Amino acid sequence: MNIIVSALSFTYPSGVEALHGVNLAIAAGEAVAILGENGAGKTTLVKHFNGLLRPTRGTVAVGGWDTREHSVAQMAARAGYVFQNPDDQLFERTVQAEVMFGPHNLGRTAAEAGAAAADALAQVGLAAQSGANPYDLHLSERKLLALAAVLAMHTPVVVLDEPTTGQDARGVARISGIVEALKAEGRTVIAISHDVDFCAEHFDRVVLMAGGLILADGPAADVFARADDLRRADVEPPQLVRLASALGLLGAPLRTEQFVDLLAQARL
Amino acid sequence: MSAFSLYVDRNSGLNRLNPLTMLALIGFCLVAGLALPGAWAPYAVFLLAILPLAAGGRVLRPFLSAALKIVLPFAVSVTLIQGLFWTGGTPIVHLGPLSLKREGLIFAAQSTGRILAVLGSFLLLALTTRTDALMIALAQHGAPKSLTYIVLATLQIAPRFQAKANTILDAQRARGLEVEGGIGRRVRALIPLTIPLVLGSIVDIEERAIALEARAFSRSGPKTSLLVLRDSHMQRIGRWVLVGGMIAAVILGIVLRR
Ligand SMILES: Nc1ncnc2c1ncn2[C@@H]1O[C@H](COP(=O)(O)OP(=O)(O)OP(=O)(O)O)[C@@H](O)[C@H]1O
Ligand SMILES: [Mg+2]
Repeated sequence: MNIIVSALSFTYPSGVEALHGVNLAIAAGEAVAILGENGAGKTTLVKHFNGLLRPTRGTVAVGGWDTREHSVAQMAARAGYVFQNPDDQLFERTVQAEVMFGPHNLGRTAAEAGAAAADALAQVGLAAQSGANPYDLHLSERKLLALAAVLAMHTPVVVLDEPTTGQDARGVARISGIVEALKAEGRTVIAISHDVDFCAEHFDRVVLMAGGLILADGPAADVFARADDLRRADVEPPQLVRLASALGLLGAPLRTEQFVDLLAQARL
Repeated sequence: MSAFSLYVDRNSGLNRLNPLTMLALIGFCLVAGLALPGAWAPYAVFLLAILPLAAGGRVLRPFLSAALKIVLPFAVSVTLIQGLFWTGGTPIVHLGPLSLKREGLIFAAQSTGRILAVLGSFLLLALTTRTDALMIALAQHGAPKSLTYIVLATLQIAPRFQAKANTILDAQRARGLEVEGGIGRRVRALIPLTIPLVLGSIVDIEERAIALEARAFSRSGPKTSLLVLRDSHMQRIGRWVLVGGMIAAVILGIVLRR
């Protein structure tokens, strides 16, 4: 399912102008990473995808649905949003109930919802904790639970707001696996992240934001090669890109194999 | 600020006054409005002191709109009820079988004036003075700090509760709970919300108490406030003058009433 953002400006009731005329088109099945400094407007942008925020000016459409003409609940069936802060998202008393909440609202039968919940919990590795109270989980586990709660809804669009923050290597590997699985199923995956290596590895397209504007948007390799824009958005290039440029190699390798290839070519 | 505070920062002279000076000014308006004799006294205080102060504090518009919204319905109902149903008064206006009595109208005017003066005073204080600044000023002058904390915490809990409710509502909507349109839906959405709301708020309050303790909140001895309150020699003198004014108004009231 695609997302079309046109001339989107957004001002918070407090008067903060968080977005200034953003244009962005995401095709169905694309994997897009959104990067940028703190306060760039990344969260504000993606909260428009399910209608939690509505444009001050401009429009946002998901699969042809204008977010102003549909309720958040209706949009939620299309775009699942995993909150940046799990404590803003979790409210049920058990892990199980938390993951069932979405499928129930989407009208799934009890059996379907139960199966979806079990699946999602297994994917994030929380199957054993299904009877626990979310408050008793660690922050990293609460983040995974928040992810499972959205996965269980099987939405065509999945938006992850800083999924790897606070995760150890095992957690990051789990999330990486989930992103790859979503991509393989042809779903649209959008992730906000400060973790450039994670983005470089799993996302084909990178959107760079600063000050409520999009600075750069394109294939990951191209955007990560634009040192000036990266600096303006306060984003460090991925380690492989930095290593390649320190070695004087041409190009921005995103995966280890690409780096090895570049190195081999340079040696020849 | 939040929906629960009327304060508007207009960077006015009144905003810059020490909260205690504001308190003294308001106290003077209250005492003068209530102690001076005659139905006209509260009106005079309202017109000659409270209204000019509201204008000087650049809050005239919100002041008048709030004051009218509260006082006008009161004034109309008290005038009709007391005017029409005053027993044994002198009729001055005849309305079919009923008549407005002179004594009833005077009584209505008197009570409206008092309400106007009292409400106007408090409204002016609320619009021009930050509650936290006022509490700090009081604490610095010896008011028990647990009392000031309770007042401040109560004022802050309501908006936190509201913010928490909105957060949870967002979380539920984002997972497909329909809350838009129809009062029934909204109520149904609020029912699952109550438990997490109350639990969440208790956790919040507990965390806040721990955080305060961790930063030596209940340590005895003097504290430095981050909110710097301005004060001056002139203001200190002004406050004593106002206190003198209050005493004078009370005495004048007693003397003239005889
Ligand atoms: N609820 C809100 N009310 C008022 N202003 C807000 C609110 N949420 C965010 N802002 C402001 O809007 C701007 C953009 O914030 P946003 O959360 O979208 O940034 P972000 O790119 O997600 O940052 P981060 O990397 O820190 O999560 C910031 O200036 C922020 O302070
Ligand atoms: Mg954010």
